[in-house]
Amino acid sequence: MTAGDAAVIVLVSLPHAAAIAGFVWPSRAVTVSLISAATLMAAALVAMHAVAGYGAWRHDVGGWEAPLGIGWTIDGVACALLLLTAAVGLAGSIHHAAARVRPSTAAHDPRYFWPLWLFLWGGLNALFVSADLFNIFVTLEFVTVASVGLIALSGRLAQAAAWRYLLATLFGSSVYLLGVALIYGRVAALDLPFLAQALPADLVGMTAASLVTIGLLLKGAVFPLHFWLPSAHARALPPVSAILSGVVVAAAFYLLARAWLGPFRELLTPAAGTALGLLGAGAVLWGGLLALLQRHLKRMIAYSTVSQLGFCMLLFPLAAAGATQLAWTGAMVVLLAHGLSKAACFLAAGVIVRHHRSGRVDALGGCQQGIGLAWFAFALAAASLVGLPPTGGFVGKWWLAQAAINSGAYPWLALLVAGTLLTAAYLWRVLEAAIRTGPPDEARRPAAIAAHREGAPATPSDRGMMIAALGLALGAVAVGAAAPPLAPVLSSAIGVTW
Amino acid sequence: MGLVGQVFDALLAIALVWLAWQATRAADLFRAVVSFIVFGLLMAVAWVRLEAPDIALAEAAIGAGATGALLLSALDRLAPRRGRSWARVWRADARTWVLWVPAVMALAGALTAAAWQLPAPGLGAVATGALEQSGVDHAVTAVLLNFRALDTLLEIGVLVLAAVAVWSMGPAPAASAPVMPSPTLPMLGRTLFPVFVLVAAYLLWRGSHAPGGAFPAGAVLGAGGILMLLAGAQPWIRSAEHGPWRAILSAGFAVMLFAAIVGALAGGAFFEYPAAIASHAILVLEVTAGMSIALLLFAVYLRGEPHPAADTDRQRC
Repeated sequence: MTAGDAAVIVLVSLPHAAAIAGFVWPSRAVTVSLISAATLMAAALVAMHAVAGYGAWRHDVGGWEAPLGIGWTIDGVACALLLLTAAVGLAGSIHHAAARVRPSTAAHDPRYFWPLWLFLWGGLNALFVSADLFNIFVTLEFVTVASVGLIALSGRLAQAAAWRYLLATLFGSSVYLLGVALIYGRVAALDLPFLAQALPADLVGMTAASLVTIGLLLKGAVFPLHFWLPSAHARALPPVSAILSGVVVAAAFYLLARAWLGPFRELLTPAAGTALGLLGAGAVLWGGLLALLQRHLKRMIAYSTVSQLGFCMLLFPLAAAGATQLAWTGAMVVLLAHGLSKAACFLAAGVIVRHHRSGRVDALGGCQQGIGLAWFAFALAAASLVGLPPTGGFVGKWWLAQAAINSGAYPWLALLVAGTLLTAAYLWRVLEAAIRTGPPDEARRPAAIAAHREGAPATPSDRGMMIAALGLALGAVAVGAAAPPLAPVLSSAIGVTW
Repeated sequence: MGLVGQVFDALLAIALVWLAWQATRAADLFRAVVSFIVFGLLMAVAWVRLEAPDIALAEAAIGAGATGALLLSALDRLAPRRGRSWARVWRADARTWVLWVPAVMALAGALTAAAWQLPAPGLGAVATGALEQSGVDHAVTAVLLNFRALDTLLEIGVLVLAAVAVWSMGPAPAASAPVMPSPTLPMLGRTLFPVFVLVAAYLLWRGSHAPGGAFPAGAVLGAGGILMLLAGAQPWIRSAEHGPWRAILSAGFAVMLFAAIVGALAGGAFFEYPAAIASHAILVLEVTAGMSIALLLFAVYLRGEPHPAADTDRQRC
């Protein structure tokens, strides 16, 4: 067993083992989770190092080869997403441990957070390495149940949102599974790299592709199937919002990309690509517009997720037009930079909302003493979301723009520019609110007024939470520097046809 | 099969579609739930017709039994509400008729046309070919616990996760049993429970050489436990931090994860059992998985975190 194999086995099994430990011994859950989080980060780095050094590889689970058994494909893209999960997971763990949610504030035991959180992490890791369509379905279920549990943790209002999310995403799973059943019936295989050679572009293939796509679009909250996302992501605890918006939604897009550039490659005609791209355009514009209209900070960030994932959808029209490699690396860098910066935004927003005791954008002005670091993290993350150089967001959008220019697809270039302006507009609203002198006291809740006048200083708890947010925001900036040399690694993807 | 079989299948298909419609669109919620339960039972008959008896058992135990019981007890907790009349169902949903029905019909049409073209090759031959090295004599068990053991691990994980998620939402409501006017139910429950245990044990034992195994056995045992709860039995699972139940509930998942890691250390791949001990390992996994599934179904049905410790002053049934 090589170091890479060992790292992947740790990545898949450690979160589950730690989750069980956290469930059986709740009093030690925080320690176990923090140690596991750090170990998982190290394992993800080892896996990435192995892929960068020796190239991508397959791991046949149980020693059984493809049509019979389940395969893991450990390649550059998978490792990049494993690293993203580890970064958001580690930062979220630190943030939640520092926040110290007290048992008295909730009707239920808040320590259930840890097993659910680690199970979600394990499900995501298993999803990113899996090359088997049915196994991916099981991991999607895993991720769904854990996400629903985590959203519902923050109380009554969130339970309604969690319920809607559960219904929407279960429907998505069933539709996806129908498509997978058709594929299995047609070619008697579920392995993605195998299917990339074997799946014919006939009626069965087309029906299966549309079913799988509808299921994943619903799970990825791609316009117009995004109705469940804003309230689910805005009402959850900050680390939960961070991982849902940064990683869980990205997982659906990741699968969509692997499916369309793998088994469904022959079906990716200019017409199909344009249709998917138009959904992305709708997401960018509609999500951006609604983000601009939101009054609450967390809802604004949630709508921004709908909008930003629209940029990734440009992969399909640009790949159909011939600029596959450039569009692929561009979309993946956008996905990674968005994951890190969006998670940073939510973690920072958690501190900011706690400080001002209000989530309304127009109540965020005034005294910022003690939470300067959170605003700094928010601003850095915003820079990456907008796409200012030298951040990851800039590099990803630049490559997408280059792909559009190379393939002569200028309407998509126009969309990129328009979407970037919209992003700048709604993020500027928040930053501008922060530097204002502060609203009149009538606009605040009575409880906030007292705290506001005193100018609450930063506590160690706040500091831990802000450092977690800042780490992620710096990661989003670092992606910009790391992406150009790592581009060949990112485009090592087993089963993807260029 | 003959004409009789074909007529039977056609009637079965029509009844299934009608019941599905009733379950989703019925004006009265109670009627909808009953339609759903009958749908599950007929679906089990359909699986028997398709020569998949183990799926039929799981469908009857989970689809009709456990889910039906869950829906009925949820109905019990809903505030009494007047159902929609049929006239309103037809009138109010203009959008349903214009948008959703045509869209679903188009998708269903494409699905039917696509399914008609399927050659149905499957992987049966490949699985049977590799059976000798798998450590068991039955292809389904070999697939579930060896060839695709990772799926099974994650599926049991989903059950553990569901139990944790249900517990995280707050304490269980005091009485798990709905108020039942029938005095015969507790007696029936007590009489039937040993039969459930016996059937589950038989299914588990059968799994190594014939249809059966951990999933149907666990489902039957879990459904038996839920029946006992419905008959008024007090749940005995406790959520105490230092009590044994948290460990017992996670045991099936933990043992399987352990086996996978040991496989990786010994054979090189995750879940690669050494050939010499494969059959023993699978037997252990099968028994723990079956017990775990039964207990987890039961734990989910408690609808919340059970009382941390057994309190003696509460009235026992």
